[in-house]
Amino acid sequence: MADKRNTTIEVDYLARVEGEGNMFIEIKDGELQELRFGIHEPPRFFEAFLKDRKFTEAPDITARICGICPVAYQMSSVHAMEDALQAQITPWIREMRRFFYCGEHIQSHILHAYLLHAPDFLGYESSIHMAADFPKEVEHGLQLKKVGNEIMEIIGGRAVHPINIRVGGFYKAPTRKQMRDIIPVLEKAREMARESCKWVATLPFPDFDRDYTYVCVHHPDEYAFSEGNIVSNKGLNIPASAFNDTFEEIHVEHSNALHCRFRDGGGCYHMGPLARIVNNFDQLPDDSKALADEIGLTRNVMNPFKSILARALETYYCTGEALRIAKEYELPEQPYIDLDVKAGIGHAMTEAPRGGLYHRYRIDDEGLIKEAQLTIPTSQNQAMIEDDLRDFVPKFMHLSDDKLQWHCEQAIRNYDPCISCATHFLNLTVKRS
Amino acid sequence: MADHHGAYCIDRPDFGSLFSALKKRGYSLVGPTVQDGAIVFDEIEAVDDLPEGWTDEQDAGTYRIRKRDDKALFGFNSGPHSWKKFLYPSETKLWSARRTEDGFEIEEGEKTIPQYAFIGVHPCDLRAIEIQDKIFMAPDTADPRYGRKREAAFVIALNCGQASKTCFCTSMGTGPRAESGFDIALTEIMGEGYHYFLAESGSERGHDVLRESGCRSAADIDFESAAKVSRQAVDGQIRAIDTNGIKEMLYRNYENKHWEDVAERCMSCANCTLVCPTCFCSKTEDEMSLDGEIADRWRYWDSCFTLDFSYIHGGTIRQTIRSRYRQWMTHKLAAWYDQFGSSGCVGCGRCIAWCPVGIDITAEVKALRESEGGKKNG
Amino acid sequence: MADKPKLAIWKFSSCDGCQLTLLDCEDELLSVVGAVDVAYFVEASRETKPGPYDVSLVEGSITTPHEAELIQQVRKDSKFLVSIGACATGGGIQALKNYADVSDYINTVYATPEYISTLDKATPISDHVQVDFELRGCPIDKGQLLEVVNALLYNRRPNIPTHSVCIECKRRFTPCVMVRGIPCLGPVTQAGCGAICPAHERGCYGCFGPMETPNAASLGQWLLDKGMISEGDLVRLFRTFNSDAPAFRDASIHFEKEVQRDG
Repeated sequence: MADKRNTTIEVDYLARVEGEGNMFIEIKDGELQELRFGIHEPPRFFEAFLKDRKFTEAPDITARICGICPVAYQMSSVHAMEDALQAQITPWIREMRRFFYCGEHIQSHILHAYLLHAPDFLGYESSIHMAADFPKEVEHGLQLKKVGNEIMEIIGGRAVHPINIRVGGFYKAPTRKQMRDIIPVLEKAREMARESCKWVATLPFPDFDRDYTYVCVHHPDEYAFSEGNIVSNKGLNIPASAFNDTFEEIHVEHSNALHCRFRDGGGCYHMGPLARIVNNFDQLPDDSKALADEIGLTRNVMNPFKSILARALETYYCTGEALRIAKEYELPEQPYIDLDVKAGIGHAMTEAPRGGLYHRYRIDDEGLIKEAQLTIPTSQNQAMIEDDLRDFVPKFMHLSDDKLQWHCEQAIRNYDPCISCATHFLNLTVKRS
Repeated sequence: MADHHGAYCIDRPDFGSLFSALKKRGYSLVGPTVQDGAIVFDEIEAVDDLPEGWTDEQDAGTYRIRKRDDKALFGFNSGPHSWKKFLYPSETKLWSARRTEDGFEIEEGEKTIPQYAFIGVHPCDLRAIEIQDKIFMAPDTADPRYGRKREAAFVIALNCGQASKTCFCTSMGTGPRAESGFDIALTEIMGEGYHYFLAESGSERGHDVLRESGCRSAADIDFESAAKVSRQAVDGQIRAIDTNGIKEMLYRNYENKHWEDVAERCMSCANCTLVCPTCFCSKTEDEMSLDGEIADRWRYWDSCFTLDFSYIHGGTIRQTIRSRYRQWMTHKLAAWYDQFGSSGCVGCGRCIAWCPVGIDITAEVKALRESEGGKKNG
Repeated sequence: MADKPKLAIWKFSSCDGCQLTLLDCEDELLSVVGAVDVAYFVEASRETKPGPYDVSLVEGSITTPHEAELIQQVRKDSKFLVSIGACATGGGIQALKNYADVSDYINTVYATPEYISTLDKATPISDHVQVDFELRGCPIDKGQLLEVVNALLYNRRPNIPTHSVCIECKRRFTPCVMVRGIPCLGPVTQAGCGAICPAHERGCYGCFGPMETPNAASLGQWLLDKGMISEGDLVRLFRTFNSDAPAFRDASIHFEKEVQRDG
């Protein structure tokens, strides 16, 4: 009998996630016994490499943690270093960082939504399989992804591990022509992104609502990427410097990534596009709000499977924001600020596509890094992913092992876990004994 | 008063008329302009694009630009680019082949031939162009793409009025005054209260342009002033190559230990060959579409400093950096005479300034000669 | 082609950026997957087909006992093995631990060090198995990746130059940054990136690893002699993403000794 079954689901290498993770689920007499979402990506010791490196090297070194979201690492590191040096960037630099982040959010969101996540909803092993039946959609996805990469190439020099970012700004300003030429591309991308939202809204979403504590960066005047306080939908509002007072990282045996939770016993929390939509809905421009309404993405969405909708909407937002910046572009006198090196401690949390990325550095008076702490989105979401699965498995126990496994994988992919990042950090194992 | 037929003077405020006359004739203007901390050659639109009031400071392995005290338009020496950038581009699509039902079709890679007017060609570079003409316009080795662009090009030479530390054109007999090979030769003459150009025509079309530019005829005094300008460029040169018997000297020093010394410093990075205005080596590569329907053939600048350059069946001939530097220098300063009837070096000094570790061809020649001691002459 | 070649993509210790480069070939991706049978690519597909594979692209370096075993199996299952990216060809950033005591590292990063299993050194794939072709870069270049795939499909040698970055710089007419006073590894680093750093007014940091016949000692000495760099910065310059590639490793050790001698 299905409700009394014993089974083990064990997935050693989760597919369609960036990096390597595993899942283990054991069901005994129809009861969930054990559940683990582990990350077996080999440890890579970034905090240790950073010690005694120059503060100027942090953006290039930390980018190598993740090939999918290097911009986030570069942004968190430069903001944290500038915090340590008490340096004030210019409005031009600020604006171009937003442009840069738009590129990464588009690229990463579309990669995940179209190539990694959408096949789950439609029952395909991969987007390559999906492309046979949905050629137009996959083509649109690839074209949008390309636009994200083009933005990063203009301002970053290349899409993976950009080279134009320095503490205090950029090495070189894009030319007027580069920024002018991207305008028609972004105008077209904006239409594709709108179509994409509508298509994603037609996907079948499992009925699964939770009560999340959503945490993200919030800025009163704009849809936050890298500046603002850390807030939650349950009243949290702290500066980045209070991160360690509020959250803690714990090391569990089944994972090479650290788990995060509220220090005060508030448990785990949810970061990423859903958190941003919920906490920062008011900061979205009117056309993005209207599109959110149209596709059924409400400001209190609690279904993690709808993260794909949030990614699609943010992609739409980013095409518009990038377009605005490109249209208003002017050449700066100098694309970076000069820095006075001195000892200090700096903090920053910026919004990687998959959630908040916190960096903290202590540097000495020669600018050498003495301590580094990198708390990555997938660590922060890892406990919540397990929590989702613990709630999900009993509710969907009626499914066959194959289907249950697939849905559990999908539930993990809801978070777009970047496991390569979670290097302090997956295999699924479902065991029904 | 001597007959200065075809020689005119253009006052600085009227200099733009020269650009207008060239544009009217359909030329694309290319010339010096400030970009990325250097005085480079690129397409220019107006006199404003020229490096007015800029100069360069150069030495072995170093180059900086800085502001001058005056408003000279051409107050600088060789920069990172040479004119081969335009006549012999670094990346050229030679042709494209497309598969058809009964074989394939070939399409010429270069659809249009640009008609360039080169503004401000230094005499050393003028000689470099002549040297490349001998290669790319000789019957056996002709490159029709080079030939078409070269024949269409209008050349405005610029007689130097200063030398950088890396210049040694006098010793190579290539400057600092242009003798031939131009349509117009300019000398920039400046002083208290005056700033003008002596413009000498070197061709009928050059003469036409000058007549139209509305200039006054040159007088003896203008030539005297121009001679003074050239004198400064001669006097300013601190480097030289003793070319006396240089071919024989290099040929007999093939096994000199000094090559080892150079090899310790040389990185075989190829910068010297790529900045050299006469180096002409290239490689061709085919690029194919994934479905195998289209193939493009490209030509890229290459260098005798790469391992691939001397790769033949069985391996690379010049494995060591020592053998590669020796090949380059011996070809440039010796074998070139046998091959093309002149030295391959025009004394522009680019290989000295743009060597990342400052290897100086004039110093290496001197060191080779000195290592021979008094035993040999020349 | 009657039989499409079977392609497998493997990941060892790495950031995923090189695999992502394949997915970043947006314009060409559908024709690539049309031309080959993507048999094993966990990052993109749940479907995995067993070996043997005609071509394996291997990302990442070997850092754990498990990885050291797995690479042997990958080699056995692969007719042609291409290591892709600086981790696979030069150790990658994680090879920095080769210069330190790993137990210190574990204690720095992990609260419960006994849960961590790792080797003392991070090493390139070629230290463990025969590699048929190495594609450099941190990350690899999209155009170079497509060139290798194309060459393998048509059974020809890929046009992947091993000369200096300088040649790419000169072909795009970037005025040399080093000669203008900015320390640059371009003269000792293999081309392939398109010389993007100098084009952005910064020195090359060597992410494509050492070029053919590199003379890193000459470059380093010149930088020191001209006062363009401090000794500490010079050691760090050679010790980033290809720190286990012999020429960069030797240079960093050489100049580190100089520092100690002077200090």
